[in-house]
Amino acid sequence: MSTYEHDPVSHSVAHHLVAIAELLEEYGYARVTDVARHLGITRGSASITLKSLEQKGLVTYDDRRFLGLSEAGRQVAESIQAKKAVLRDLLVRVLGVDEKQAEEDTCKLEHLVSARTAERARRLLDFIESGSSEARRFLAAFGRFRKDGTGGTEEKGR
Amino acid sequence: MEKPDLLRTLNEIYAEEVEAAIRYLHMAVTIKGMYRLALRDELLEAMRETMDHARVVAEKVLEMGGVPALDLKVQLPGEMTTGAEAVRTAVAFEQGAQEAYADLLEAAAGDVAMEEFARAQVALESEHLAHFRLLLEE
Repeated sequence: MSTYEHDPVSHSVAHHLVAIAELLEEYGYARVTDVARHLGITRGSASITLKSLEQKGLVTYDDRRFLGLSEAGRQVAESIQAKKAVLRDLLVRVLGVDEKQAEEDTCKLEHLVSARTAERARRLLDFIESGSSEARRFLAAFGRFRKDGTGGTEEKGR
Repeated sequence: MEKPDLLRTLNEIYAEEVEAAIRYLHMAVTIKGMYRLALRDELLEAMRETMDHARVVAEKVLEMGGVPALDLKVQLPGEMTTGAEAVRTAVAFEQGAQEAYADLLEAAAGDVAMEEFARAQVALESEHLAHFRLLLEE
């Protein structure tokens, strides 16, 4: 069985955990209603998923039904948010994908990408953003290649 | 609350009720085990009542000059349901509905007719919630 099949974080779970993290960061609190609106789903649907996340020890409820993240839940949410940021930057800054499309695609991939792959992507971004002459040449060559398929001028004639 | 916000709240409740009705139907047909006999008719009755709530809420949207809109993202797996799972799901939806009508009550401040409607629905959903919660107790 592949590691993919072992991954306990589904698309829906990832979205719920990240939604709570974002709401807590923005407003300082998160209720089922807020998560439902944030994700564009019904409260009933949000409530069912959140209950199961509570049972898995990822989400907490206080006495007034305000939501929180357990330490494990916070780690999962932070990991997904970090991967999301790397993937979005990679799509926009390197591949030239427009922001809206990048956001949609990132949303589909964020919970599937391994930490190792995300780290490699981050290193590539670090290299590109280093501003070195090699990085500038790489970006320029890739930009030309993307447009007309002839970016690798130095390799011509080899 | 401004009229567009009130309409948004009503449309959210409309979606809440329709999705709950769909889930009640799905649970009624997929329930397994010895509780099937006891719960299937209960769930079908809840489906009918919930769909009727949805219709009334849609009419409230029309009365306010809006158009009922549904944006549902519901996927129901092809798996059988146990009695406890079905009741837990019912609790989640009844609680969601109760909170949604409580929000409507707050949003409708000053609109006496809407306030009365929301108040009655909060009471009704609270009864349903208490009923399903009792079923979960050992």
